[in-house]
Amino acid sequence: MIKLEPEILQAVEKPARYTGHELNAVHKDWDEVDCHFALAMADTYEVGMSNLGLKILYEVLNNRQDTACERVYAPWTDMEAIMRERSIPLFSLESFTEIKKFDFLGFTLQYEMIYSNILNMLDLAGIPIWAKDRNDEASFIVGGGPTVYNTEPIADFFDFFILGEGEEVISEVAETFVKWKREGKPGGRKGFLKEVAKLEGIYVPSFYNVKYNEKGYFSSIEPKEPEARAKIYKRVIKDLDSVHFVEKPVMPYIGIVHDRIMLELFRGCTRGCRFCQAGTSYRPIRERSREYLRGLARKLVDSSGYNEMSLTSLSSADYSCLGELVDDLFSDFEGEKVSFSLPSLRIDSFSIDLAHKLQQVRKSGLTFAPEAGTQRLRDVINKGVTEKNLMTAVEAAFKQGWKQVKLYFMMGLPTETDEDIVGIARLAEKVARKYKEVKGKWGVTVTISVSCFVPKPHTPFQWFGQLPKDEFERRQRLLKDSITERAVKFHYHDARVSVLEGAISRGDRRISQVIYQAWKDGAKFDGWTDLFKEDVWHEAFRKCGIDMKEYSERTRDFDEPLPWEHTTPGVSKDFLKREWNKAVAEQLTEDCRRGKCSGCGVCPSLKVDIVDWKRKEGEVKANV
Amino acid sequence: MYKYRAQLTKGDEIRYISHLDYAGVMERAIRRAKLPAAYTEGFNPHLKMSFASPLSLGVTSDAEYMDFELTKPLCQPEIFDKLSAALPPGIRLIKLKPVKEPKPCEGKKHKALMAEVEQGIYEVMAPLTGDWDAAVKAVEKYNGATEVNYHRVTPKKTRDIEVKQYMLEPVKIGMSGDLVKLTMNISITQTGSIKPAEILELLHNEYGLPVALGRALINRSKLMGQGKDLIDLV
Repeated sequence: MIKLEPEILQAVEKPARYTGHELNAVHKDWDEVDCHFALAMADTYEVGMSNLGLKILYEVLNNRQDTACERVYAPWTDMEAIMRERSIPLFSLESFTEIKKFDFLGFTLQYEMIYSNILNMLDLAGIPIWAKDRNDEASFIVGGGPTVYNTEPIADFFDFFILGEGEEVISEVAETFVKWKREGKPGGRKGFLKEVAKLEGIYVPSFYNVKYNEKGYFSSIEPKEPEARAKIYKRVIKDLDSVHFVEKPVMPYIGIVHDRIMLELFRGCTRGCRFCQAGTSYRPIRERSREYLRGLARKLVDSSGYNEMSLTSLSSADYSCLGELVDDLFSDFEGEKVSFSLPSLRIDSFSIDLAHKLQQVRKSGLTFAPEAGTQRLRDVINKGVTEKNLMTAVEAAFKQGWKQVKLYFMMGLPTETDEDIVGIARLAEKVARKYKEVKGKWGVTVTISVSCFVPKPHTPFQWFGQLPKDEFERRQRLLKDSITERAVKFHYHDARVSVLEGAISRGDRRISQVIYQAWKDGAKFDGWTDLFKEDVWHEAFRKCGIDMKEYSERTRDFDEPLPWEHTTPGVSKDFLKREWNKAVAEQLTEDCRRGKCSGCGVCPSLKVDIVDWKRKEGEVKANV
Repeated sequence: MYKYRAQLTKGDEIRYISHLDYAGVMERAIRRAKLPAAYTEGFNPHLKMSFASPLSLGVTSDAEYMDFELTKPLCQPEIFDKLSAALPPGIRLIKLKPVKEPKPCEGKKHKALMAEVEQGIYEVMAPLTGDWDAAVKAVEKYNGATEVNYHRVTPKKTRDIEVKQYMLEPVKIGMSGDLVKLTMNISITQTGSIKPAEILELLHNEYGLPVALGRALINRSKLMGQGKDLIDLV
């Protein structure tokens, strides 16, 4: 058991990050269980504690009699320095046990810029960084989460990955482990990996041979063990009412990023925005039932004491029974002072009316995501939103009293011209002038937040070469100079980070050397702008003899094998190619949840169906 | 409205959470307890609750006081049991009393909880790193001094504070197991006070008290007004 002296805790920022003992944390007797699972996020306590996936898996694992699941997050730099100086190993927040004593250390892979922190945590734990260096005593390092649809850049650091939704498969992994352990661990470490590889959705990277062609491009990946599948499909929950959801969240003593109840209405979004990785990787739409959500809401308020609940999903306003659910929640929690919020708003008056009904504090402002500045480019990305939609929505918002609007855009999308960039400024100015028209006076703030587009695997834009950093910066300047209205405020993302993310997210296994080198040379918390060390990363690419631009800026050939195709969310390459061609032709694709099937391939290949309660009601009526 | 005063602890498990975080934790506990709590008006309603003197980060306490209001009068045992059951590790409810508002004819209302605080008693436990006699001498020398200045540096400003004006009694020294135990009786005024950690720092740095400063633990054992525990003022 690790005990931190008062002088250490007095010396670090936010010491309660490291002291545990939260309400609803689960404490089990170490010797009473067979499987010890540490769930990790390679980011701060406040970020890690806010992750819904980890909250769910924590309860699923702890609901098993044979398993104890504990938490661990990345220590902040001040704490890390003390831990290294005094040789304090990384420890868990429940039993304060050294992490390397756990059977599993599972990382949620939320975004590419935390990869250096994963290595740092392994090192602090005293676990060998490279999977090949781990002996039979070492913990199994597991990864799961949004970036698993290209795990190659970190494949050599992990023993296995879990693709897709974890509620069922995480339990199968624990079960497989307990059985293997009780049988006396046949075959040692590799013996377990062979067993776990038999489960659907599990990818054991060491069981594959990777080849590159004469140009140095990835050419093939082939299984070398009989248990390894040639293609691994993600796991998907067919009926979200049938699996466990968070009921007793661990309650932090200090403020965290999302310090409220998260009620997940549904998974998936099939609006089909062509840049969006979440849009392809969480297909198809599966809604929870209104009754189930109502029951969960009650349990969560009672067990947490929170007075704020966020109705979360990729596009919450698309929940088919949202109006009814909100009415249910209003009546269930009348007099309990619980407030409800929607994290994302659709650009229409339904969303505005709902936001108004939810009494979101006016001053906080409304956020919309038109994503591109011209209709042409919005058609390219299949955004399906017109300028008229936006004007109607903001007009309704201004009439309801909102004075602040935030608009999200991307820069560097395929086919983008200077006209599209200037279009962002023009659109924002029209929104500002709409306020004057509605209210007869000035007094609005329109904030435009513009990120740099990063092409992602398994999207229709996965072949597209990302813009160079200098070009991003030129377009940022162009946009800045194009804004003439004082009411418009401009924020943009750091292009230095975006191009690195671009290289890593479409990287192959050779990128792991670069990540290792960058970490060795001091890279950590790369997602925190003030800690990002651009030079260290460029130097790491140079030391490894790898041209970063080959990964970020090179447009891939349609016929070229891609290093991420063997780990798939189920969307077919033909669908992605069709969508690319339609993008270039500026043609729209309908949302399949109510409209025509776009043939993405997910439902047949994963044997899963859309769950949309209103569509079902419609079908029932039609059948009668 | 029906007002109650609670005496709570801040245990070792949560010694490193701030005063503000402690208040948030109590607000959620009252909500979990399903008490008919009174809320402030407005867009962002909050529980009507107030606290006595804030505790420094790292200090535990047997004497945290909170006043809160309910919209219905419940009997003391019901509130006590419901609130106790909803508290997180590190917080225990020791006593609970209704706050009797004086009748209008009796004149003044109860003072705000914070304004009632006049005095705090703290115990400091620290490993002895040297000679026991030297430790006793250091404390005696400190107690005998007529004027002691502490140089307080905060991110906002730096100033010198005369410490002895806040010492209600001489610092007592004893042994508890193999730890040195110091008891400090400190005056808390509307215009200022001195922290027990600051006195310890002075004792160590200026008077040569041989203890391991980095391993010292501080506990507030009492918080008083008019010579009584705050819970006995209602």
